[in-house]
Amino acid sequence: MPTNSVKKQLLQVALYTALIACTIVMLTPMVWLIAASMKGPDDLFHYIFFAPRLSLHNFRQLFSDIPFLRFLMNSVFVAGTTVLVQLFFSSLGGFALAKYEFRGKKIIMIVMLATMMIPVQVLMAPLYELIYRMRLVDSYLGLIVPGAVSVFGMFLFRQSMLQIPDDLLQAGRIDGCNEFRLYWNIAIPISRPMIGAFCLISFMGSWNSFLWPQIILHTQERFTLTIGLNQMVGLYAQEYGALMAGTLLSVLPVVILFFLLQKEFISGLAAGAIKG
Amino acid sequence: MTMQRMALFRLQRKYAPYLFVTPFIVLFLLFGVYPLIKSLVLATYITSGPKSHLFVGLENFRFLLSDPDFHKAVRNTTVFAFFSVFLQLPLSLGLALLLNRELVKGRDFFRFSFFSPHLVGQVFVAVLFSVIFIPQFGLLNRVLHAVTGLALDTKWLTNPSLVMPALILTSLWMYVGFNMIYFLAALQAVDRELYDAAQVDGASAFQQFLHVTIPGIRPVAVFVMVLSTIGSFQLFELPYVMLGNSSGPEGAGLTVVMYLYNNGFVSGDLGYASAIGWSLALGVLLISLVQMRFTGTWKREE
Amino acid sequence: MHLKSIIDSFPFGKAPFILLVVTLFAGGWLLFHPIPENVATLRFWTFAKTHYNAYQQIAPVFEAKYPGTKLDIQLVHGDAVTTRLRSAFWADLDVPDLVEVEISSAGSFFRGPIDDVGFVDLTSWLKESGYYDRIVQTRFAPYSNRGHIFGMPHDVHPVMLAYRRDIFEAEGVDVSKIETWDDFIREGRRLTRLNERYMIELSDSGASNLEMFLFQRDGGYFDADGNLIMDDETAVKTVTWYIPLVAGPNRIGSDLGSGRVFTQAIEQGYFLSFICPDWRSKIAEVDVPRMAGKMALMPLPAVEPGARRTSTWGGTMLGITKRCENKDLAWELAKHMYLDPEELAQRFRDTNILPPLRDAWDHEAFKEPRPYWSNQPIGTLYAELADQVPSQYTSPFIATAKDKMSEVISACAAYYRAHGDKDFETYVRTRLKQAAEEVRTYMRRDFN
Repeated sequence: MPTNSVKKQLLQVALYTALIACTIVMLTPMVWLIAASMKGPDDLFHYIFFAPRLSLHNFRQLFSDIPFLRFLMNSVFVAGTTVLVQLFFSSLGGFALAKYEFRGKKIIMIVMLATMMIPVQVLMAPLYELIYRMRLVDSYLGLIVPGAVSVFGMFLFRQSMLQIPDDLLQAGRIDGCNEFRLYWNIAIPISRPMIGAFCLISFMGSWNSFLWPQIILHTQERFTLTIGLNQMVGLYAQEYGALMAGTLLSVLPVVILFFLLQKEFISGLAAGAIKG
Repeated sequence: MTMQRMALFRLQRKYAPYLFVTPFIVLFLLFGVYPLIKSLVLATYITSGPKSHLFVGLENFRFLLSDPDFHKAVRNTTVFAFFSVFLQLPLSLGLALLLNRELVKGRDFFRFSFFSPHLVGQVFVAVLFSVIFIPQFGLLNRVLHAVTGLALDTKWLTNPSLVMPALILTSLWMYVGFNMIYFLAALQAVDRELYDAAQVDGASAFQQFLHVTIPGIRPVAVFVMVLSTIGSFQLFELPYVMLGNSSGPEGAGLTVVMYLYNNGFVSGDLGYASAIGWSLALGVLLISLVQMRFTGTWKREE
Repeated sequence: MHLKSIIDSFPFGKAPFILLVVTLFAGGWLLFHPIPENVATLRFWTFAKTHYNAYQQIAPVFEAKYPGTKLDIQLVHGDAVTTRLRSAFWADLDVPDLVEVEISSAGSFFRGPIDDVGFVDLTSWLKESGYYDRIVQTRFAPYSNRGHIFGMPHDVHPVMLAYRRDIFEAEGVDVSKIETWDDFIREGRRLTRLNERYMIELSDSGASNLEMFLFQRDGGYFDADGNLIMDDETAVKTVTWYIPLVAGPNRIGSDLGSGRVFTQAIEQGYFLSFICPDWRSKIAEVDVPRMAGKMALMPLPAVEPGARRTSTWGGTMLGITKRCENKDLAWELAKHMYLDPEELAQRFRDTNILPPLRDAWDHEAFKEPRPYWSNQPIGTLYAELADQVPSQYTSPFIATAKDKMSEVISACAAYYRAHGDKDFETYVRTRLKQAAEEVRTYMRRDFN
């Protein structure tokens, strides 16, 4: 049937045209960002995209005039610590909620579910007051500690750990493993795909967070990238090139992490959606 | 000796779950539950920084009702949420449908390129787009000028009636691909046999979409809708950074969370900020309930 | 292979392992790069890059004059100065010893009981030292509250008009014949080509240009007693006059933005002139270097013949914080920075900013011809206008009032585009009234 195959081919062409058009729209800003960060100040608005002469001027300015490296390290340290602490506490708690019966379990779950419905911004004012009383304003601890628990993570891990067969845990106990060993040697390795997805989501959350650091940070040396870059917009407004270079470098770590964890992330998201 | 060990073993087994949840619970009580209750108390005070309080009862909530800026913030945020959700969802679904075709080669590439903007946090997107939106020399105006003849000096971020479209456009770019992932997963989970059966019955492609696809992805669609609505109502970083740490011309970019931030942490009225926070929470809760009611999410579970 | 087995023996898997390694690395880096101990005897914050660059040269001089002192001058985001400093005052955090605060946010620090103000009262120091009488009086107004002076004025900020001399000459514009705004607008209509070339850079959305016109007519946001006057007759007249300059078919002004955009616009001749207070003349020199010799300054056109040929735009105060441990030394630094004629002369060369200390203007630095400005002696030009500079008063609610005024501008511009002159003045009056009422709503809520 020739008409049918022609029709099919036409459909194919239309489909790809649409897909490629969408891809161009979605990728253009990023391509422009890369181009802008590699243009000298005079070329920035002269050439729409890449200039014939590439320049590292913006990056040099970023690291010499602005404590960009420090912002970067602060962000890595704060986001990394937050994720690891969240991961440990959430998975430990999730394990208890999934595999044990104990008093108060129901209440804990209900209270947590209820708080999940409330936007975090409600907490900002009292949290600030609390952190002020704890003398943690303008400190790394003040940044990390309030974000150390993730109710979302706790539910995520409970959900995935529910599937661990009880026999497996029982077998571990007979071999003389204590309960923490069961968590460490059985529950955690089984949950690795979920851990990968959780790490990326939680890392992005912490890396990109702005409101809380903006509230409690004072000293420039402790600024994270979001705060530092926002400050740059005001101070170096005319240095669009350096600003774009800074944006590019701020985005890069998340992109790298995403590539490392792509599979786990997509399947984790999808699993969450179907169950939700 | 062994008896002792056995007893110890039993003991640790009994108390293990409590030990496991304790660190979580302690932190959760301290940084989740306590501030939540405290914010209700704070909402009855006017404060000047964390040190000086003045009890005013329900005055903050009364003032909210007559506060012109709060009304503007609510209006702006609602407009943003409405448009970004109702433009986002069909576009996301459309992209997912395109990608869900078996003929598509390089699906991973397309999926990544649609999804990639979501990897860029709101602050960084805001910085990037504040430069893209520049009049006369910015990328967007140059492209639009060449394609549609739009005036080269269109001032996206300083013309009050263009601020909201600019914000919606930016958020579309950020979230369309992200929501597409959910739709794609949902589409792939729809039972193939249902399509085959429909085809046997002579259903057209459109009928199949209407009667097989839509019911199949409905739970996910509702989930995505509720989630994007909640997210949209918490809009803050994007306008705040994009408009140079301000609410923009005529306050056109003022959102509820920005208003909360300004009152609590710029003017120092933590009490009023708490009141704003609670009205946001109530509003979001109400809208989510209405959405779930309308889409029949409850009926099916009854 | 070896690495893989290490990762595998870590129960959480690949991602947390990577995170752990990077976090430890970053933590280690931070450990080896500790935040420098505050060894400075005096810490100083400024939000303006031009000031920052100029003050760099002060530190060694001052340190040599007072052995054993160490100055730490920091450039900080303008929002950080207001937001962070204010919340640092609340939270008893470490604050700098001296801070420069921008005029529009100064008022917000004077909220609450007078004892809670975070700055030291400078009144007696200023009066006893006699400096009070040597400084341009109008400049104390914005930094005073309930009879106390909390800030030392940094500047006078008279306003002139900067223009592209080459284009004006080519087009046959004789600036000496432009005396009033009417003259200026007439020439403007002749030279403006919509979307290609505008006579002047003026904003149709923000209040920063409009307020300068308000001050020129002795109007403003607040009067000397802190009453809101943004809806008085002067304001109605000014707004009604201003909007047609930036909206509608006969407009002669537009606005694009600052920085590189401004550079490009001036170079291309998109703007032929712009409002130029002394501080902005330096910004033009830095941002638009290629226009050297093609630019010139003229006094602001007057509202009517014989009236004031200037106004004011912007300002900065220097405050000493109450937490400062070496207040006397801080006062010495303040004097050295703001009141030493030699320093001020050098600073004028660096920043073009006219200091409020009158005696300083006799220095030859102010009389030097500037090649960038077609060899005009810009110090003299600005100084001649200093006595005509109007007062601008402030209040804790100044930021709210400014926001509301910006809204009025945008709304009136939109109305004018749609309806032209029809009922325009009535609309302006209602809109200003409404905006002022909103500000008063917030002023009434103030419990302090």
